[in-house]
Amino acid sequence: MSDPSEALASAKATADRLVKAKRLNACLTPVGELRKALVTQAQAAHPSGVLYGMPVAVKDNICTLEFTTTCGSKILESYRSPYEATAVAKLKAAGALIAGKTNCDEFAMGSSTEHSAYGRTLHPFDKTRVPGGSSGGSAALVAAGAVPAALGSETGGSVRQPASLCGVVGIKPTYGRVSRWGLVAFGSSLDQIGVLGRSVHDAARVLSVISGRDPKDSTCEERDPLRLPNVPESLQGFVIGIPKEYFPADLDPAVRRACDRAVRLCKELGAAVREVALPHTAYAVPTYYILAPAEASSNLARYDGARYGPRFDGSADVRALYRTTRGEGFGAEVRRRILLGTYVLSSGYYDAYYRKAQQMRALIAQDFRNAFDRGVDLLFTPTTPSPAFKAGEKLDDPVAMYLSDIFTVTANLAGLPAISLPIGRVKGLPLGGQFIGQAFLEDEMLEAAYALERVVPGTEEA
Amino acid sequence: MSVTHDEVLKIARLAELDVSEEALPLLAEQMSRILEYVAQINAVPASEGVKPFVPGPDALRFRADEVKPIPLAFGPEALAPAFKDGFFLVPKLGAFEGADS
Repeated sequence: MSDPSEALASAKATADRLVKAKRLNACLTPVGELRKALVTQAQAAHPSGVLYGMPVAVKDNICTLEFTTTCGSKILESYRSPYEATAVAKLKAAGALIAGKTNCDEFAMGSSTEHSAYGRTLHPFDKTRVPGGSSGGSAALVAAGAVPAALGSETGGSVRQPASLCGVVGIKPTYGRVSRWGLVAFGSSLDQIGVLGRSVHDAARVLSVISGRDPKDSTCEERDPLRLPNVPESLQGFVIGIPKEYFPADLDPAVRRACDRAVRLCKELGAAVREVALPHTAYAVPTYYILAPAEASSNLARYDGARYGPRFDGSADVRALYRTTRGEGFGAEVRRRILLGTYVLSSGYYDAYYRKAQQMRALIAQDFRNAFDRGVDLLFTPTTPSPAFKAGEKLDDPVAMYLSDIFTVTANLAGLPAISLPIGRVKGLPLGGQFIGQAFLEDEMLEAAYALERVVPGTEEA
Repeated sequence: MSVTHDEVLKIARLAELDVSEEALPLLAEQMSRILEYVAQINAVPASEGVKPFVPGPDALRFRADEVKPIPLAFGPEALAPAFKDGFFLVPKLGAFEGADS
């Protein structure tokens, strides 16, 4: 697209599609405001940009100037950021149109997009089910065809898990590949902005634009933007590892069937496939649910009603103001995680929880290095242990909810890139499989995903 | 691992977070369950020699120590619940921690 009239048409058509998708409660931006902003952006966008006229929705924990940034929380209700995320600025510089803010679990803490102060997002194929989370709004909008791509964020699988449950592609880049400037912090050693797209190509194009160095983020690596690989004819020369720990005896049979089919197709494409061991996998979820709440309890200390956001108390005492604002402003899941994080960092418990979890994280990262050192290029696993679950099914059981992330958290803990793509369906519900790559070798990972996407019957029953 | 109501309240004070009396039983029960679940990492033998894994660049880069205008689209007065003469306004500090812990 290079014609301004086409960009304007794209803006208007996007607004119409977002209106149609309103029933999903996936987009938090009011329709009138969104329509106006899309048209303004289309008129201002530079036609030479590589994403000229492409609408990209943005998760509501990524700062934008055009729209509010609430993180799905009452504590940031109506908050308008005075600066925008580097990823958003790069998208705009490439000519993309920011197509509103998407619903998410509050501060990205959740796996179902039920923990939003603005109501739950519905699964696009079955309104009784969840779209996954925490980037559930982004996944639902892409799956509903409202936008070709959307930004999400990952701390423990929040792009890949909803991508898998909604039948779209989700990419989590290597930690340090994309700037975190303007991504509202949850777990700073884990957080990365990721991309959801209708296809590997759409998601990869957006990733390429938002990647690369940023002097504003010292954890962003000094690297050029990701160069997109060509679509390979085969997977000849690739060695794909299948970690046995991701295929337990009680794995959902449909997930197993879909993965088996995907692996068979990789072999037919010429890849060598071998079983590998990642022996500390069983400890990944417990490790994550110590480290992430610990970091969250520190990062979320800034929300106290003093400098921004609403103030929930007119008390004469500043500490009562903090406590009431935080107690009323945060939802149940965020409160629980702040308390857990404070607990594991507190005197007497630090060594048993936080310090031990840091050691476990190192062992989990070492497992991956060992596998790659033995000649494996990529790993292939299921993305989620089951298809989309019923709304409310896991709300009263936090541990059951946390286990939705069992196959995704490891890549976050080890800082590795991963991509989830649709590999089949069960009773109409999508199933995803993921490739986990080596740090900063997203190009290899994308090659494998391109090749598999071409042959896998992603919308057929497994 | 069982977390008592008093422990939840103590942690809540450290986290500057109001927890209502009604919410306490469920919160204590859920925290106990979660802590029991995550404590399984202690089943792995102590690994004192393991260095913590930190992703990202090996060394943090520092920006030049220069005073520059803050690149904000608008100032804090537009965001703050209460702001006057360049300051965020908050109520006075009442009792110190010792008085309410």
